[in-house]
Amino acid sequence: MTPTFETASFPILSVSILIPFVAALIVFALNEKVAKPISIVASGIVLAISSYLMLVYDPKDYKIQFYEKYEWIPQFGISYEVGVDALSLTMVWLTALAFFVSFIWSTNIQNRVKEYFISFLILEAACIGVFVAWDLVAFYVFWEVMLIPMFLIIGIWGYAERLYAATKFFIYTFFGSLFLLIGVVGMYIYNFYSNKVLSTSYFDLLNVDLPHNLEIVFFLLLALGFAVKVPMWPFHTWLPAAHVQAPTAGSVILAAVLLKMGTYGFVRFNLPWFPEASKVFMPVMFTLGVIAIIYTAMMAIAQTHIKRLIAYSSVSHMGFVTIGTFALNMEGVNGAIITMISHGLTSGALFLAAGFIYERLHSYEMKDLGGMAKFVPVFATLFMISVMASAGLPGLSGFVGEFLALLGTFKVSILTAVLAGLSLVVGAAYTLWLYKKTMFEEELLSEERLKEYSHIKDLNSAELWSFLPLVIFMFVIGTYPNWWVNLINSTSAFVLHKIVGG
Amino acid sequence: MGILLSIVADLGVPNFYVLIPEIIVLTVALTILVLELFTKNKSLLSALSIFGLGLAAISVFFIQEGDKTLYGLYIVDTFSLWFKFLILITSITIFAVFNPYIDSKRSYYGEHYYLMLFSILGMMIMVSSPNLITMYMGLELMSISLYILVGLLKRDYKSKEGAFKYLIIGGAGTAIISYGIALIYGKTGTFDLIGIALKLQDNIDVGGIGGLVLLIVGLALKASAVPFHFWTPDAYEAAPTPITALMGGVAKLATYATIVRVTVDAFGGSSEVWAPAWAVLAAASMVVGNFIALRQKDVKRMLTYSSIAHTGYILAALASGNGVGFFAILFYAMVYVFMAIAGFLFLSAFERNEGWTNSVEDFKGLAKRHPIMALYMLILMFSMLGIPPTAGFMGKFGIFLSLISADVWWLTIVLVITSVISAGYYLRIVANMYMYEPISKAKFNLTQIEKAVIGFLSILTLLLGVYPAIFWEISNLLTNSLLMTAVAR
Repeated sequence: MTPTFETASFPILSVSILIPFVAALIVFALNEKVAKPISIVASGIVLAISSYLMLVYDPKDYKIQFYEKYEWIPQFGISYEVGVDALSLTMVWLTALAFFVSFIWSTNIQNRVKEYFISFLILEAACIGVFVAWDLVAFYVFWEVMLIPMFLIIGIWGYAERLYAATKFFIYTFFGSLFLLIGVVGMYIYNFYSNKVLSTSYFDLLNVDLPHNLEIVFFLLLALGFAVKVPMWPFHTWLPAAHVQAPTAGSVILAAVLLKMGTYGFVRFNLPWFPEASKVFMPVMFTLGVIAIIYTAMMAIAQTHIKRLIAYSSVSHMGFVTIGTFALNMEGVNGAIITMISHGLTSGALFLAAGFIYERLHSYEMKDLGGMAKFVPVFATLFMISVMASAGLPGLSGFVGEFLALLGTFKVSILTAVLAGLSLVVGAAYTLWLYKKTMFEEELLSEERLKEYSHIKDLNSAELWSFLPLVIFMFVIGTYPNWWVNLINSTSAFVLHKIVGG
Repeated sequence: MGILLSIVADLGVPNFYVLIPEIIVLTVALTILVLELFTKNKSLLSALSIFGLGLAAISVFFIQEGDKTLYGLYIVDTFSLWFKFLILITSITIFAVFNPYIDSKRSYYGEHYYLMLFSILGMMIMVSSPNLITMYMGLELMSISLYILVGLLKRDYKSKEGAFKYLIIGGAGTAIISYGIALIYGKTGTFDLIGIALKLQDNIDVGGIGGLVLLIVGLALKASAVPFHFWTPDAYEAAPTPITALMGGVAKLATYATIVRVTVDAFGGSSEVWAPAWAVLAAASMVVGNFIALRQKDVKRMLTYSSIAHTGYILAALASGNGVGFFAILFYAMVYVFMAIAGFLFLSAFERNEGWTNSVEDFKGLAKRHPIMALYMLILMFSMLGIPPTAGFMGKFGIFLSLISADVWWLTIVLVITSVISAGYYLRIVANMYMYEPISKAKFNLTQIEKAVIGFLSILTLLLGVYPAIFWEISNLLTNSLLMTAVAR
């Protein structure tokens, strides 16, 4: 199955990469008062573009749509090649949404406002680039560019231990991605030796006929790069540190967008490129996925720091994506992709909630919190919905993806499905625990602490407007998953076409 | 006179036209040598040097390629012309910021200008040598000028110590190179690179290997590869910082170019001997350079060790022993020169300010005290680390390509691990600049030229990372030019 291309009449994807970048330049040139409006407008345009693309995307046959290709480094056959299928497109949309929300949220940044928005805008350009690039070097460039702004975001605007967290984040990801680079270069060279084609294009590397042992090696190299980013157990230790220290908007982006890059990599590259190796490694991935789900869910229960709790829950959810992906059937991959979208929404909302709580009560520790629900009813409602969506309540987005992923896994390995399914209970436990410890139980608080509470205000309009889109889409996906499944069906079929045949 | 005339009658007049860049540099150097006795006007001397270098750089474009002159002792091909151009251009940046530095250190010597020009002349001779003797002369002219330049800092004991160390170890290196040349001459009966290649063909024996190994050791010493690097930290740290930029940037470039030319043209057939040798040197340089750099508190010293590590990256490409490797090494050498010079000139500019000691602590809060310069440094650090979209990444990409295409997996892994380690110290600079509060509020006093030069170099680094196709094409041309010379004769 060779994909066909539908060349864009207007370079709309390049434009959506360029808009944040140009906005960053404008912010650089102007003063800091206009930084926030410009960023919101720029990311709003990108969100509008990606929503429009999602509506006009034709999901019937698998085609790479809005496709552009220009020569970049002809000596190596490297080109700038962008286009979307449903997987890319939903991720781009999620990216655009997450950045839009983060920009609206970022009202009370006082320190180095200009640099803050410039970092986020460059990060947005790089993130969109990762999801739309089909040339492997371009993909890698975007993948790595992202490290620089994220390093600065955690390191400059983070909390006390920010430097440690930023460096750890950087070094872990850099380490993983160098192996990814070796894998890509290896594929490229093998393709050159065997087919005499100098190209780093995804589609040229798709049809390389690898010998079995090389396929295993390349699978492992790429998987190492992606596993650090997902992050899969045992490479996850950078994540809690990074999340705890990052500023709220940074955490939102980290959870909603950056983690998706790892799972995106698995679905996009490992499955179609290495079908045999994927089958071989299915048990390994299942094991790692189940460990991630159960172990990190247990870890989450033990946390008293609410951001750390949400961070561990992210690792746990990413475990579902992993097992869904490596179930290697339609339900599994569909479930994985929908869980990716849903987790982007729910974890984004949860980190916003954590940020809200911190701004009101200046603590992330559960022992200082509690009893907020009475004072902030609107927030409490939205927070409740996010928590429920994260726990996988039917009718909300989390349920759809996890259900499909489990269904796919069940067909392949009952044991894995049962173990993963059991942990949903644990998942419900820690999210409800989180809610209870922050929103209820005011009787556990001291008199003085309660007095401070009378000052706290409910969501202001900026906060409300950053919360609402996430919550609305949790409902949209949860109540009408059909549209989303239809959208990604042909893409999942393409991802699996070498594995299941056809 | 009679003998000279008869030689000319026999061999013909050498084509001096193609030597114009060298002649210009030599003339300017000699003019300054005399002029410096009568004037203490530094601006005049430095303007004259820059004018000469600029003129020489322009003249490169008007020269016929492919000529050999001076009776086969001097080659003017694409390879040498391009490197001459690069050497001249990058030297100009150093001359441009030289005077303020010398003023602030109150250490003026008229000798600076013509010695620098002589060392540049030596580098130009090195890159256009088709012959081991010419190479040796160029290398010596460059090294001897640099020995003196390192010591030319008034009232600084360390400078003398560094110069002395450099002199002794560098002298040993030269001796080793000359032994190597002697052995090779004994084996093949010629100094000519192509002649050597023809004689050795594929069956290199003990004599040839002995000569080659000595040559490799000597050249590795000049390029400061581990374990022949011991002079580097002291000499680099002791030298006046612009001179460090000359040594760590321009001289390195010329040395790499020479290494590539000698290995490809003279020993192209015996890559199974030199490829493993360079691989071991490369691996040792990467490991030692990066690990020691991690421990440095002084940024100048840290950059020195980082330059040793970069020697490792660059030599690693040679370990592949194929065309892709030459391609990669030339590209990396060309982009590294910009990073290295910008890095050292950055320090030279800040060193002029009161209270700046080049320590990592001094970088704290630099982003607030001088945002633009901090941004330039950020670009440079990420480029040295090899993060896209900077030229450093493209260089490393080429090296990965060459290593994997030659199946040298172990060196690839060493490269990966040491790159990750190097993140430790590059990130520390960035973190200190951006993530700490400034330690003092004092304003920095930097000249416009310094800002412009460093800005130009770092933005060039960024642009070459975003659109490297031009430089890849150039290194492609240069590789072809090298291989063509090797094949043609």
